[in-house]
Amino acid sequence: MHIMTAETIIQSLASGLLMGLLYGLIAVGLALIFGLMDVVNFAHGEFLMIAMYATFFLFAFFAVDPLLSAPLVAAALFVFGAVVYLLVVRFAMRAKANAGMVQIFSTFGLAIVMRGLAQFFFTPDYRSITHSWLGGKTVSIAGIFLPVPQLFGALVAIAAFGALWFFINRTDFGRALEATREDAGAVALVGIDKNRVFALGWGLGAALVGLAGAIMAIFFYIYPDVGASFALIAYVTVALGGFGSVFGAFAGGLLVGLVEATTALILPPSLKSVGIYAVYLLVVFIRPRGLFGSL
Amino acid sequence: MTALLETRGVWQRFGGLIANSDVSISVQAGEIVGLIGPNGAGKSTLFNLIAGVLPPTEGSIIFDDENVTRLPAAERCQRGIARTFQVVKSFETMTVIDNVIVGALIRTTVMREARRKAHEVLDFCGLAARADVPASQLIPSEKRRLEVARALATEPKLLLLDEVLTGLTPIEAQRGVELVRKVRATGVTVLMVEHVMEIVMPLVDRAIVLDLGKVLVEGKPADVVRDPKVIAAYLGDRHAVGA
Amino acid sequence: MDTAFAERRRRNLIVAACLAAIAALVPLFVKDVYVQNIMVLSLMYAALSQSWNILSGYCGQISLGHALYFGLGAYTTALLFTKFGVLPWFGMLGGGLISAAIALALGYPCFRLRGHYFVIATIVIAETALLLFQNWEWAGAALGIDIPVRGDSWLKFQFTRSKLPYFYFALVLACIAWFVTWWLEDSKWGYWWRAVKDNPDAAESLGVVVFNSKMGAAAVSAFLTAVGGSFYAQFVSYIDPESVMGFQFSLLMALPAVLGGIGTLWGPMLGAVILIPLTELTRSFIGGSGRGVDLIVYGALIVLISLARPQGLVGMFSRHRKAATR
Repeated sequence: MHIMTAETIIQSLASGLLMGLLYGLIAVGLALIFGLMDVVNFAHGEFLMIAMYATFFLFAFFAVDPLLSAPLVAAALFVFGAVVYLLVVRFAMRAKANAGMVQIFSTFGLAIVMRGLAQFFFTPDYRSITHSWLGGKTVSIAGIFLPVPQLFGALVAIAAFGALWFFINRTDFGRALEATREDAGAVALVGIDKNRVFALGWGLGAALVGLAGAIMAIFFYIYPDVGASFALIAYVTVALGGFGSVFGAFAGGLLVGLVEATTALILPPSLKSVGIYAVYLLVVFIRPRGLFGSL
Repeated sequence: MTALLETRGVWQRFGGLIANSDVSISVQAGEIVGLIGPNGAGKSTLFNLIAGVLPPTEGSIIFDDENVTRLPAAERCQRGIARTFQVVKSFETMTVIDNVIVGALIRTTVMREARRKAHEVLDFCGLAARADVPASQLIPSEKRRLEVARALATEPKLLLLDEVLTGLTPIEAQRGVELVRKVRATGVTVLMVEHVMEIVMPLVDRAIVLDLGKVLVEGKPADVVRDPKVIAAYLGDRHAVGA
Repeated sequence: MDTAFAERRRRNLIVAACLAAIAALVPLFVKDVYVQNIMVLSLMYAALSQSWNILSGYCGQISLGHALYFGLGAYTTALLFTKFGVLPWFGMLGGGLISAAIALALGYPCFRLRGHYFVIATIVIAETALLLFQNWEWAGAALGIDIPVRGDSWLKFQFTRSKLPYFYFALVLACIAWFVTWWLEDSKWGYWWRAVKDNPDAAESLGVVVFNSKMGAAAVSAFLTAVGGSFYAQFVSYIDPESVMGFQFSLLMALPAVLGGIGTLWGPMLGAVILIPLTELTRSFIGGSGRGVDLIVYGALIVLISLARPQGLVGMFSRHRKAATR
């Protein structure tokens, strides 16, 4: 436990907010996919994991800084997400009986395969990016010391949320996304190819978590199971905010980040997730559809 | 003679929307009563209130001399109120007979009894030949029959039918009418929400017309159909069928 | 019609008895300790998956946090034995009852949740329990509990010279789990569970008290899972939070049922006898450099089964049987 001065508390909370924005960025892809087609991607953590590995290998083999590789990784994840939809999820959605079970376990199975592949090809060793432009630097804002990578990540997250909002509300494709969300059957009548919209939705969701992964690779260890720990936080974030709500993911992320930081101040570090879990349970017991959820 | 079912001053509000306003109706044992009215009249809401899906904002519901207003749906079934769903809700992964057994189990825990009763009910409803077929493989009119069979297996005193004849071919609808008559003949009271006037009017003993959440008129079908208020209500609704 | 049904029920029972008898004879021919170990684990997972299947398969409430009950069973037995000298047989019972009680307590708020919110709640609760145990000094915290083994004893349920007693116990456990499922399948509980799974609204309209149904399924499932956990503690003689409450256990309890046929009588059994040996063998045959191969194999299996045959492998056999009687 630390000595609790007002300074350390503010410090922790500020860091918590930054991480919260990153959690929101990870979670929003999940919320988007769910809002679009009622499917929870249980391989979401593994998407994050490959984004982190991709960033690492671009650094290790080509000395590309994560900041530069971020857009590349996001683009690659976009393609990957669309492919996962087309090859796996599309078929999962056809299930009539046991539909819930099929969706859960098809993506879960995929997560296991991805983790196995990572272990096989990359070994379970922990990797880290040792030199990067932002890595290890801190900046002082109004007397609070903030780690630069997390700060940058938070800014990127905010920008991404803004871009997403604009995209959904102001562009044609965004409207197609909304329309398909409302009534997937009807959109075919106006010439919208449901599969294409879903594939692009998955791509977009994956790209967002890819972006988060590229940035997180700057300051987190990278290993095959890294997705698992963040995945649970992502599910909790989305569920807290309410499945299907993009804004909910944003708000949920902030809440989770703050709760995690607060818990770390009070309890031993190994228990820092307990706070988040407790808040999740509390929220859904009172509001079974999450804070902003409508589904 | 006390009524089997009575609603007393039932109001249902959803936020600012008033779905049912001061509805007081009664159904005598042994009757077939039709609950009709144009779209948005509040029929489905009233239906769901009687079935126990939700409690009314105001008012009370008396069934068989007991105030059941606060009882949830499962307990109302215990008391003898059974219902079908407008959008059929069969247990898709179970066979037809298993579907019906679920209903029968409320009256007996002995499996052999429940199974025997289920067979009887299927026979009664004309589905005996489809007993071992998975419910997902039934055609729509058979699924409707299954809804009725399941509800009947609970040995109800009052059977609530939600648009059970809508969207059927004339032949299927006629068979449906016969089934409803058979059900009443066994002593079960029937309250049915319907849209298809020309099918329903010859079937029911009495009709209750709702409009805009209120009871507009009640009486014998022949009288109700000619009532100018009823005609006006339906003409105002462009989607009315029949009349 | 009724007699055909009764016949089918009886046939299942006879087949189960025969399989159990055959299984009981296997150790007489297979002496390799490594293989015996796999067999014990397969039977244990068959029992565990069958228990999981009751709540998640029949009643449709998919839980990915069942490691909670497994761990509770393991810890109850281990703690009662090491701290108070209570024999594992009582510990098993205690673990089962505690788990059932906790399942009911958790069910109260959790069964109000639908779909994904419920699944995530189960994961979160199990993780929380794991974290709490990792920080609970009295229970050994992260270091866990070492169960002292001093020679063979049926009373203390520990054996050093041979795995056979464990094998037979696991076999009995699997039989019990199967039998409980068989019995409940054709009972009011079984029918109501399936109704709740398929359509809770319709079930309610037919008099099913959905909440009570779920609670019943949860309690039975938790009890049996905990007994499995208690067995495991005695089998390995050392437990720690990660090894008995980790998420991988929750998954490993669910996967055999998914593979074999979720919500079916034989599914979890079939799935366990395929999946467990498969994962153990791939893990050891491909050796050190093969890390992750077991994951790839069984992950791929799960994806394939969920997409191509969601009713599980059992569906393949029954279809042939039905065709044969037509």
